[in-house]
Amino acid sequence: MNTIISEFSMNDLNSKFFEIMQNEKSAEDAANFIYDNVYDDVALGVLFEFHHGLKTGLTELLEGEKEEDEGYKIVNSPECDVFGFSMLKKTPDSNCSCPNCDRPVSATRFAPHLEKCMGMGRNSSRIASRRIASNSREPTSYAGLLSDDEDDADWSTIHSERRKRRIKNNNSKKPAKIHKGNNGNHNSDSNDGCATYETMSANEKKNLLLQICGVVSEHTKKLCTRSTRCPQHTEEQRRALRNSVLEPSTPESQTMGLTADEAGSPPDSSPSSSCSSSSRKRDRHRAQPRNKKRDRNISPNRD
Amino acid sequence: MTVNNTIAHQRLTLTGDRERFKELLRRRLIECGWRDQVRMLCREIVKENDGNNVTFDTLVTRVTPRARALVPDTVKKELLQKIKTHLY
Repeated sequence: MNTIISEFSMNDLNSKFFEIMQNEKSAEDAANFIYDNVYDDVALGVLFEFHHGLKTGLTELLEGEKEEDEGYKIVNSPECDVFGFSMLKKTPDSNCSCPNCDRPVSATRFAPHLEKCMGMGRNSSRIASRRIASNSREPTSYAGLLSDDEDDADWSTIHSERRKRRIKNNNSKKPAKIHKGNNGNHNSDSNDGCATYETMSANEKKNLLLQICGVVSEHTKKLCTRSTRCPQHTEEQRRALRNSVLEPSTPESQTMGLTADEAGSPPDSSPSSSCSSSSRKRDRHRAQPRNKKRDRNISPNRD
Repeated sequence: MTVNNTIAHQRLTLTGDRERFKELLRRRLIECGWRDQVRMLCREIVKENDGNNVTFDTLVTRVTPRARALVPDTVKKELLQKIKTHLY
């Protein structure tokens, strides 16, 4: 058939073609025939392409290895999680009862709970030991300056001094740190400059006045937190303050105040007094860092 | 009738329009996802035969009838319409 057609010249073909196209039915037929022909071509092309890919290994390279789906299927059963692990094992563990208060606590919160409940753990044991230490120290620090056991007292005051300084550095960040013994507490208050003598007990006042100048500023109504020898205030001011503040308390406390005053004026006090020398030591110790800080901290007592 | 059809076909081929139509159909079939479906069919057949020695002839005999049914009507109609308007 093809050979016959190929014998037509282009002109013959054209005339024939127009002849055929006059008839609508044959034209429709021709269209269908051509479509089928074209479609076969395209389908063969696709199949050739696939076959070629298959034989040369291109298909496998392009599409990669087929993954095993079995291992990754989501398990959908009530007792298991999506990985197929049993969930029953976990539930009894997740609630522990606290040995101290018998409350059920989730396992993830158990350690923090114990810390709170029993006073275990880092922070609370630190707090506890500090509390114990300050409690045992307090009697010695009160009586220390008058007893012959003054090395201890000196150490303890210096120690609290150190802590006070630490608070001063930290008190903006960690106000919770002020949980300390009575000593630390009031020192930190006086450092904040907001403490007044009204809120303190006689012992606390005594203790405080042994360490700082303590004169109340006229402007800020705050205590001077510098050493007992501070140049801002005169001996008279200090003595008057101690008299007025310690007046209602026992006469013993007044003698305490006097010793503190003696300590505050080293040239006058005799070096034979071990008490005053030790407190002088303490003052020197304290005065140096205080001077450095004076620039940064707005001191409340510059009248 | 077949002579008439071949005459029309022959003329289309000579004028180069057949190639144009073929390219159009190919593009349409790729666009509508027919080619991917046919590829899936082929892959199934390869799997059935365990991948060894799938000849081209087996592919053609197994795939062509199903592939023809998969051609969307819209594509087929569009092609027919275009060919007809070209012939008239």
